[in-house]
Amino acid sequence: MPTIQDYSNNFENKWCPGCGNFGIQQAMKKAFVAQNLSPHELLIISGIGQAGKTPHFLECNFMHTLHGRALAVASGAKLANHELNVVVNSGDGDCYGEGGNHFIHAIRRNLDLTLLVHNNQIYGLTKGQASPTTEEEMITSIQSHGVLNRPIRPLAVALSLGAGFVARGFSGQPKELSQLIQAGMDYKGFSLIDILQPCVSFNHLNTMAWYKERIVDVTSLEHDTQDHQAAFQLAMEWDERIPTGILFQQDEDDFTTRNPWLQDGPMLHRKYEAEKIRDYIDGLYK
Amino acid sequence: MATDLTVKIGGEAGQGIQTVGDLLCRVCRQAGYFFLAINDHESRVRGGHNFLQLRISDSPVLAPASQVDLLVDLDGITCEQHGDELKDNGLILCRPEQQPERDGVLAVDFTQLAEKAGDKATENTVAVAVCVALLGAGEELCRNVVAQFFARRDDLKEINLKAVQAGFACVSESGLKGWDLAWEEQQPGGALLNGAKTLALGAVAAGCRVGAFYPMSPATGIMAQLVQLAEHFPMVVEQAEDELAAVNMVTGSNFAGCRALTATSGGGFALMTEGMGLAAITETPLVIINAQRPGPATGLPTRTGQGDLLFTLHASQDEFPRFVLAPSTVADCFDTIQRAFHLADTYQVPVVVLVDHYLVSTSMLVSERLEVSPDAAPKAPPEPPDDPATYERFALTENGISPRLFPCQSQALVKATGNEHTPDGHVSEGRQNRNAMVEKRLAKLPAMKKEQRPPLLYHEEAEWLLVSWGSSYGMVREAVDILREQEFDIGMVHLVDMWPLPQEPLQGILSQHKWLLVEQNATGQLGWMLRAELGVEPQGSIFQYDGRPLEVERVVKQAAARIGG
Ligand SMILES: Cc1ncc(C[n+]2csc(CCOP(=O)(O)OP(=O)(O)O)c2C)c(N)n1
Ligand code: SF4
Ligand SMILES: [Mg+2]
Repeated sequence: MPTIQDYSNNFENKWCPGCGNFGIQQAMKKAFVAQNLSPHELLIISGIGQAGKTPHFLECNFMHTLHGRALAVASGAKLANHELNVVVNSGDGDCYGEGGNHFIHAIRRNLDLTLLVHNNQIYGLTKGQASPTTEEEMITSIQSHGVLNRPIRPLAVALSLGAGFVARGFSGQPKELSQLIQAGMDYKGFSLIDILQPCVSFNHLNTMAWYKERIVDVTSLEHDTQDHQAAFQLAMEWDERIPTGILFQQDEDDFTTRNPWLQDGPMLHRKYEAEKIRDYIDGLYK
Repeated sequence: MATDLTVKIGGEAGQGIQTVGDLLCRVCRQAGYFFLAINDHESRVRGGHNFLQLRISDSPVLAPASQVDLLVDLDGITCEQHGDELKDNGLILCRPEQQPERDGVLAVDFTQLAEKAGDKATENTVAVAVCVALLGAGEELCRNVVAQFFARRDDLKEINLKAVQAGFACVSESGLKGWDLAWEEQQPGGALLNGAKTLALGAVAAGCRVGAFYPMSPATGIMAQLVQLAEHFPMVVEQAEDELAAVNMVTGSNFAGCRALTATSGGGFALMTEGMGLAAITETPLVIINAQRPGPATGLPTRTGQGDLLFTLHASQDEFPRFVLAPSTVADCFDTIQRAFHLADTYQVPVVVLVDHYLVSTSMLVSERLEVSPDAAPKAPPEPPDDPATYERFALTENGISPRLFPCQSQALVKATGNEHTPDGHVSEGRQNRNAMVEKRLAKLPAMKKEQRPPLLYHEEAEWLLVSWGSSYGMVREAVDILREQEFDIGMVHLVDMWPLPQEPLQGILSQHKWLLVEQNATGQLGWMLRAELGVEPQGSIFQYDGRPLEVERVVKQAAARIGG
């Protein structure tokens, strides 16, 4: 049985003390152990940003890729070997900004992977510029007159694209978050978990206290997670009340199940047959 | 007398001149002739003026000809646009209402004959039949080819065979005398292939299992061929949301242990450059086909050029080793792409295969056998160390190559990052480590250089040499033949492995001969490379950048003027 300890390494952690990312890291470890996964059975693909650094601070296989491109790399890994357990760590800028197109199409593609978006509503690593989820009017060094653009509502976007597993977590509740991550990993298909994550250094508006005042667990709302309309409404809620938990979950065939070319097992394990190729070429000369 | 005939068929987009060309190629193949067909089309789906030019010969053909023997006008403007290319004794085939005033014209009401055969859509088959009849072949041969072409659709087969009959009858009724070629059905002398197909086939031969791409002319054809092959071989092809996704998907697949391919053209390749850097720094094998078209930006979407050489050489920020390979012929595409996969894996570097619209879309009879290379099969990863905890993905080694394991396939953890990293794959900003890693990656270069094929040489002892690269091989070679017939002492040096630049015997040859650069760009990018790497200067240059296939005649004229003068 794997233990939390198995997922710890001694690579120096580079997050600020008090950063919400620690809660996410803790929840991930818990979830992996609960999934009975050993580090060598897990592949994490991450983007660039504070969130993107996550796999360095865990023990696992990983590729820490490019800003915005984690989902593309993860999708490629799954095309090659759909038996891989792939978790993606991304930031709000990474996923909804730079990688927005991949986000949209990864949902449509519905490969079986779990996307964790560390949504601190700010560009952390580049020191506090507005991200696609930064609140309107918030003043930053670049948005010196306040943010003018409307924030994206990522869960609503995902729902509108037909995502089958849409959830919101909170880094301040690692236990609940861990359960969400497990549910996401159990879900066969693309699962999105947007995680509210205070950035203590650059986001002084959406603080731990700010989130705590607003979050409400959907289980306390008698919400039917199969009700798409209701889920959409919850996904659009924000200022007064921020619903957390699984907003929507519905089974459907994932990419691999639907893809006729993948019915004989992962591409990685398919045999190379030079004879077959030679025969085919022979046919062209006949 | 040697046979060397050119048929040019002009029509609107959507009219199906592609099918006409394809059927004619098949007839030639079935009769043991060599041929080469180029496609010239505008970037539109309907209307406009497109043409297909087919050269037929009894000896191997490597280039299109500029003079036309039989001009087929299906759109009413072909005669006007290409009339001056017609030889004096050439024939014109056109519709009755568009008949030009001149001898040697056969006006055929394709529509009426097609409708009589049973469907207006068989117009193309009527045209094929008329061409074949004029070229002197028997109806039986034409029938067999058409029957085979429609073998899977009995209803279509029947009416198309009627169309063949109508075409032949029309020629015999006209009394027009065409050519007297020997057309006898025989064992085909090769395979009907284009660059797109040989590239895709080569990828399959190299055990490629994943394709990811975003449609862009002229690269789409390659991926379409890959899709067809996916019906016969293990392969998954995914249309990505953009080229950023395509290249990074391919890197993800390679990282996970499967060979993967992406193909694109200039603008898409520009988008892939950052991803290429990720593959480079994570030392993940990556094979990209860049099928060039003229740019910048959207440029000429359906035309050809060689404007991306230096871009490809320098694509992506900072420095890392890479291979740039530029196959010379349709058959060479097969060998080159297999090598690309082998080299990408062996050295854990990006490999760009530079082709272009001409090479990808040109159909020809490939008489040489496509051989699956002994190096083609993907190799199993090395054994993980006894203590998996000691595994380092980027272990420093003398030749710069570290053992590459696949994630989740053993107890050893595979850690990689696009940031600079320590041997174990964790981010590092350390100075010494940075130097060590840059040097490690570049340490692969000496061995990479040794992998490179020397340039192709032809009469390299001559006083003058034409120096060219990539897909222009056939055209330049034909130009050399013509110039030699005109008693010029000339040969050629043709590069196929562009980077790392194979120094020998280039350096020796180019510093001891007079040479002219022949390139399909406006500034001489190969010349720039040769000057920078070898310190050699050409005595002149022949550039063509109009987006059309390199014209043999232009090369001959300009070379003769330069040498003669
Ligand atoms: C192509 C590219 N553009 C810009 C950057 C610079 N950059 C690095 S991280 C980042 C934003 C990070 O914000 P987010 O994704 O929200 O992650 P966080 O640091 O907040 O976790 C930016 C703009 C980059 N690395 N690459
Ligand atoms: S800048 Fe913000 S997100 Fe980044 S480590 Fe510090 S607190 Fe965390
Ligand atoms: Mg952020």
